[in-house]
Amino acid sequence: MARLKFLCDADRCIECNACVTACKNENEVPWGINRRRVVTINDGKPGERSISMACMHCTDAPCAAVCPVSCFYGTADGLVLHDKDLCIGCGYCFYACPFGAPQYPRVGNFGGRGKMDKCTYCAGGPQADNSAVEYAQYGANRLAEGKLPLCAEMCSTKALLAGDGEIIAAIYKERVQRRGYGSGAWGWRTAYKEGLAV
Amino acid sequence: MAETFATQKPATLIWCMGATQHTVGTANVRAFCILLLATGNVGGNGNGANIFRGHCNVQGATDVGLDVVTLPFYYGLDENAWRHWCRVWDVPFESMAARFDTPQMMGVPGIPTTRYFDAVQMPGQGAKREGDENYLQQRDSLKAMVVFGHGGNTVTRMPEAAKGLEKLDLLVVADPHPTTFAVLANRRENTYLLPICTQFETSGSRTASNRSLQWGSKVVEPIFESKDDYEAMYRLAGALDRAAERRAMPVRFQAELFKHIEVQGQQPSAESILREINRGSWSTGYSGQSPERLKLHMANQQHFDLVSLRGKEGTPVAGDFYGLPWPCWGTPEMKHPGTHILYNTNLHVKDGGGTFRARFGVERNGETLLAEGSWPKGSEIEDGYPEFTVAVLKRLGWFDELTAPEKASLEHHFGANIDRASWSTDLSGGIIRVAMEHGCMHYGNGKARANAWNLPDPVPVHREPIYTPRTDLIAQYPTLPDRRGFRLPHLGQSVQARSNTVGRDFPIVLTTGRLVEYEGGGEETRSNKWLAELQQDMFVEINPGDAQSRGIRDGQWVWVTGPESNSRARVKALVTERVGPGVAFMPFHFGGWFMGEDLRGRYPTGTDPIVLGESANTITTYGYDPVTFMQETKVTLCQIRSA
Repeated sequence: MARLKFLCDADRCIECNACVTACKNENEVPWGINRRRVVTINDGKPGERSISMACMHCTDAPCAAVCPVSCFYGTADGLVLHDKDLCIGCGYCFYACPFGAPQYPRVGNFGGRGKMDKCTYCAGGPQADNSAVEYAQYGANRLAEGKLPLCAEMCSTKALLAGDGEIIAAIYKERVQRRGYGSGAWGWRTAYKEGLAV
Repeated sequence: MAETFATQKPATLIWCMGATQHTVGTANVRAFCILLLATGNVGGNGNGANIFRGHCNVQGATDVGLDVVTLPFYYGLDENAWRHWCRVWDVPFESMAARFDTPQMMGVPGIPTTRYFDAVQMPGQGAKREGDENYLQQRDSLKAMVVFGHGGNTVTRMPEAAKGLEKLDLLVVADPHPTTFAVLANRRENTYLLPICTQFETSGSRTASNRSLQWGSKVVEPIFESKDDYEAMYRLAGALDRAAERRAMPVRFQAELFKHIEVQGQQPSAESILREINRGSWSTGYSGQSPERLKLHMANQQHFDLVSLRGKEGTPVAGDFYGLPWPCWGTPEMKHPGTHILYNTNLHVKDGGGTFRARFGVERNGETLLAEGSWPKGSEIEDGYPEFTVAVLKRLGWFDELTAPEKASLEHHFGANIDRASWSTDLSGGIIRVAMEHGCMHYGNGKARANAWNLPDPVPVHREPIYTPRTDLIAQYPTLPDRRGFRLPHLGQSVQARSNTVGRDFPIVLTTGRLVEYEGGGEETRSNKWLAELQQDMFVEINPGDAQSRGIRDGQWVWVTGPESNSRARVKALVTERVGPGVAFMPFHFGGWFMGEDLRGRYPTGTDPIVLGESANTITTYGYDPVTFMQETKVTLCQIRSA
């Protein structure tokens, strides 16, 4: 069984935000919620780098470890999804996540945040695949249609890769070998407990 | 970098609008071309000039003639050009001439979009005062304007634009969204907003930066009560005809200019529009891309090689370059594959090869301007030669290779003047066909030129911008003297002299440009919630040193002020090292605020974009390229203070 992962090649990302826009449009993500975002470090300075970040669907996901209601579940493909009907919006996962992935729809009385929302790897939620209720709560389920997440499919420079971890790692290694440098598969050690040595 | 460019092959030079938006814009472009020629980087795989366009079909819109110096497809404005297009449109030349105030006006370039507001505010020749150069070289001032698909906030000197728009008798804005034109002036009367379809709600050919044409099919029916450009223009032409009838005027638009356009109800067909383009645009080789050939390409996209752009053997598009990049010479039946790489002498002319055009004459100062020792593969003439006409065909003994219908067409259109019929005005395409059969380029085989003797600064030189902080350089590198062009005065040195007095109050160099999230004037993209969320505030990029000396913090409101028209704009400060000390940058896609005032109330209900903001061009200033009147958007001066 494939283990699905994300990989962002910071030497290729041009901060065009197409991944962010594709994600929002595909999943009808409301204003103010960012399942995916592009982070730029050293903006305007030599060595500037941008990286596209979302839920990395970690191995031994810290969000799942701290969730008091056990709303998270893993899929056979290695994805980390959650059940919004169980979520109580406590925000523990937000503090546990090393990537800032969990998002909350509102700021309310007594710290009420609403149900947590995050990247589903375009794989919907626990309801029946591609049903209207699934779309309303979680957005598209492209995976059930045999498609990869739209953010990576839309990436103009193919900086953002999605798919079987072994395949995308091989693509990245080939790139690094050919161009002679690579700033590393950012976040892989944190998310998947493994580096990507070439 | 210079050494790398000179020694590594192939090398290509890529630029966009920015290089042209200067008082030395055409000189910049010529300098780039000279660099490519001098380093041997023209006419081969992987080299050449690559000029990227910002929007769908910008290249195509330019080709069909929105430039005010020429009829469609770069034929120019002289009588030959008018007679050619009259033959294509099937309209008597006299009928076309009668539309102009005087016979001379027929050949006078129009008023560029960068200066429309000056043309509104200046008196015409009729009201000109003796000795005053501040007049418009036509009978009257500009009175009415129809704007198709143009943002308005992409043009410099907006405080002057606001005055001009207020003074117009009639303003029609035809666009998918109300643009800055619609709200900048506080017009209450004689202002019309026509909702126009987006590119997804209509069909037609679209030309990309690489000169490839693609057939765009309608994706959805118009979502709102909009009409596409074709129908809007057709109905406008019809309304003009009815008005002319009522006034017993002989002029007709719809009745005369749509003779070869198929119209269903009120809807001209995109296919027949392209066929008319094919019938007339021999000059640039837009003649071979019939709707049928383009649709075949769209249906067989998988059969093209991604690098060479060529259709693979054994497929319906074998040998063609994708989208038949112009020039695609001759008639569609000639099956020219299009020209992927210009000036490539390593290919036969029938296979997409070419030469440098012999369009500057045959000799100058006793030296030949024709090619020496260079010709395309398979050419029967192994030397330079001038453009092909019937007379040239006769001298070469090739005249009788024209078919009977081709000869009949030439006889019909040119009669006694048949010898002077040229490849670019021969509606049969016969001259092109015969020349290519012999491996020759009908437009001649000449030399590229680095010395453009008919332009200001024949060899590009540096000239300081109109508003420069380096006033010490003005004496050595002055801008061009004051002069006239495009019916208007064009000031140079008299405005540049202001740099000496305003420099102290406006010490920061201001440049403007694009953001990835927004497009052009921005109404369409600022109305898109996904994109609007990514850029919610108009801003100015300011260097940390300049911000610190002014007590400006990142994200706070500031006033940017400019050296003309007491211009000012209230924007957010983005303190960043993206800009160097003494330089500021503003994106030009914002509109809907003007000098501190929020104009949201002026948009019709429900049509206001999600994000509004001050326009960068409120601050930009005078300055135009001498040849094109392209505006100076890239260099002016400003001051920035906390708001």
